[in-house]
Amino acid sequence: MEKHMAVCPYCGTGCKLNLLVEGGKVVGAEPLNGVTNEGELCLKGYFGYDFINDTKILTPRLRNPMLRRSRDAAFEAVSWEEAIQYAATKLSAIKAKYGPDSIMTTGSSRGTGNETNYVMQKFTRAVLGTNNVDNCARVCHGPSVAGLQVTLGNGAMSNSIPEIEHTKCVLVFGYNVADSHPVIAKRIIKAKERGAKIIVCDPRKIETARLADLWLPLNNGSNMALVNAFANVLINEGLYNKEYVANHTEGFDEYKAIVDKYTPEYAEAITGLPAEDIREAMRIYAAAPSATILWGMGVTQWGQGVDVVKGLSGLALLTGNLGRPNVGVGPVRGQNNVQGSCDMGVLPTEFPGYQKVTDPEVRAKFAKAWGVESLPDQIGCRLTDVPHLAETGKLKAMYVMGEDPAQTEPDLALVRKGFEAMEFVIVQDIFMTKTAMFADLILPATSWGEHEGVFSAADRSFQRFTKAVDAKGDVKHDWEIISLLATAMGYPMHYNNTKEIWDELRELCPIFYGVTYEKMEGLGAVPWPCRDLDSAGSKYLYEGNVFQRPGGKGLLFATEWRPPRDQLTEEFPLILCTVREVGHYSCRSMTGNCAALQTLADEPGYVTMNPKDAKALGIRDQELVWVSSRRGKVISRASVTDRTNKGAVYMTYQWWIGACNELTIHAVDPIAKTPEYKYAAVRVEAIADQVWAENHVQQEYAKLKGGLSNAVSRAVKKAPAYA
Amino acid sequence: MNRFVTANPSKCIGCRTCEVACALAHSDGAGVEGLAPDTFKPRIRMVRTADVSTAVMCHHCEDAPCVNACPNNAIVYRQNSVQVEQERCLGCKNCVLACPFGVMDVVTVPAVRSFAGMTLSLGVKAQAHKCDLCVGRDAGPACVSVCPTSALTLMDREAMDETLRRRRERAAQEAAEVAA
Repeated sequence: MEKHMAVCPYCGTGCKLNLLVEGGKVVGAEPLNGVTNEGELCLKGYFGYDFINDTKILTPRLRNPMLRRSRDAAFEAVSWEEAIQYAATKLSAIKAKYGPDSIMTTGSSRGTGNETNYVMQKFTRAVLGTNNVDNCARVCHGPSVAGLQVTLGNGAMSNSIPEIEHTKCVLVFGYNVADSHPVIAKRIIKAKERGAKIIVCDPRKIETARLADLWLPLNNGSNMALVNAFANVLINEGLYNKEYVANHTEGFDEYKAIVDKYTPEYAEAITGLPAEDIREAMRIYAAAPSATILWGMGVTQWGQGVDVVKGLSGLALLTGNLGRPNVGVGPVRGQNNVQGSCDMGVLPTEFPGYQKVTDPEVRAKFAKAWGVESLPDQIGCRLTDVPHLAETGKLKAMYVMGEDPAQTEPDLALVRKGFEAMEFVIVQDIFMTKTAMFADLILPATSWGEHEGVFSAADRSFQRFTKAVDAKGDVKHDWEIISLLATAMGYPMHYNNTKEIWDELRELCPIFYGVTYEKMEGLGAVPWPCRDLDSAGSKYLYEGNVFQRPGGKGLLFATEWRPPRDQLTEEFPLILCTVREVGHYSCRSMTGNCAALQTLADEPGYVTMNPKDAKALGIRDQELVWVSSRRGKVISRASVTDRTNKGAVYMTYQWWIGACNELTIHAVDPIAKTPEYKYAAVRVEAIADQVWAENHVQQEYAKLKGGLSNAVSRAVKKAPAYA
Repeated sequence: MNRFVTANPSKCIGCRTCEVACALAHSDGAGVEGLAPDTFKPRIRMVRTADVSTAVMCHHCEDAPCVNACPNNAIVYRQNSVQVEQERCLGCKNCVLACPFGVMDVVTVPAVRSFAGMTLSLGVKAQAHKCDLCVGRDAGPACVSVCPTSALTLMDREAMDETLRRRRERAAQEAAEVAA
């Protein structure tokens, strides 16, 4: 049996593991003693590898480039020469006719790795000539990056994952760590065993709430009011660190003026929390000699996400919980390499290494290195702008790599209209996805396990992963495909391996310069910033309490609470909040093709609801129900549980039949453009004929699966020469 | 003392990694491909209520109700554990009803017999289905080795003595504090 070192391709914990290979097939995974996982793996880490083997449980692996010459035609398998030439001709024509800003590309926060993301943004900027490149950080921790960059100067976790178990207080805010990052959950459990106090702010009784010293089940959509009330208590009870605030922060007077109104009693009406609990939380937090705030999508997926992130960083600043070990602020990244795709500049605002596209010196540096006269200076469009820009004719072509927006973006009907309005869509993926069904050209890439590279864990640690098996079929590495396309468009691009790409980007990014492949050998993990070849990187940021802002001080920021956008009415009286479950990941193209994970959970998924709501609607546990919003209607299975708060229902976002994004609203944060996935007004209805409903689910599921797999099998039959 | 696997509810995050590991450890080497919803029958079960998440499994009782209830002596004490002699199981379900923890089940599997190089189908065979501590697996119980939060431990005489020693020390400490 062969063993090949890899980094888990699921959440951002960055667990090191060995893929076990027999006869060219991955047959198992075993944990390694990596820096962040220390010999542990979770459900997905242990049993989430067999998608590589093309199990076809949900959807087939792509084996050939596939083209359809018109939208009503079927896909046909074509040669790489034809596929690349077709794409180059189409993109060049669209660029010439409508200008470079009519084309949009995406990086991938998933298995492809940092080098590919670097190459994708280079292609977008240097070859297409636009900053229209983005990644799914837009729909997850975009607000954390935008908010923390303003208040502290750096958008990432301030401290490392291993430090979590040594902190004396963990404030968990809108973050279901047990389902999102099980191996980090262990760190919190260990912190508690070492005497740390655990405070959890979440409307649901999530696993961590069960273990908490204090659980604050706030009303859905009241985050800003609670964070302001926290600040109010710290200031008015004199719990804050006056010396730290005087020496290392600015904006205190304006900050105090805004939060003054948010007394715990005032916040009680908005949050539904007893004023005394709000006070108690801050007494615990402020009393701890070291305290860490961790947050997730419960903070960011709101129309007011950026403000709340800034507010949370304010709590750390007020109490001096930054700039040293075992403290800090932690936006814990959800996808395995969403930190990496931001690091690599697949963002419309930034080059790799967080260097702004609006800075002429930065542009000149990259233009020189990339051998082009100039690079675009306008900020590009965001992923969530795409449907609107496509419908209004401003975007004409899209090149989607390793993402499935037709499953994961809000208001899917709107997303579909956007894709239909485009003149040319390229999807580059390892699986046939719902998004690929909108493509004109499908480019098949190698999977995690079939290529090597570097991922960034949630705590900024760069780690290498290696190849375990040879890819089957006529597929190429993502970065090779992009290079071929660049070359065909008149910009010769060629790399022999990922190390060449890595070394090119290191030279261009001062904060990554010291992170060599050699340092990341084996179980090596190097957290950036790492500016020198003899540096081991930075486990925590803001050493000496110097913030990466002009003047070096942290900014205290508060603003008024805004209610969520969607309106509850008699017709749509319940709040829908979209969430995660431990066994499935992202759009489910990977985990849905893993036998173990699919065995534990399959269509149509669950809508969890409180027993009181269920009883009022005549719904029993495990029955199929309709869930509808102003935007759509789907069928799902009721899970009736006291862990869910009354008045809200929760659905996970990876199901095709129970697709909650048919229901979500396209209302975005004004700064980060992140959608308000956490609040859509819905109605849940019982279905009288459960036998019909069960059959309906099976039929619709079979139809969807059949549609995707037939698209692939027919394409191959049509062109046997390439099959 | 019979060994048994014990779960700590204050560490469990309800992820069901133990269930999959259990099913795989009893799949005769079929691997993950052999898993399917209809045949997924782990011997350890994650239970989630409003207040608790934890795994439950056989306690390998010293005076086991299942052993006492079996009319055909199919359940025996062996290797410091309670084991089922599957060929003797009738599928009468007395053990299922006797078990106070709800961790004994009776399942049916296709029964086959090889005769003169041919495989003959004999209908179904009942099996009393419960934790067997993965006897024969060198690394011990599969569930214990995969639990990502170390909520599961194998309790043998030594581990039990250590737990009892720590508890007695704590009790002594607390008594001293009360006295002071």
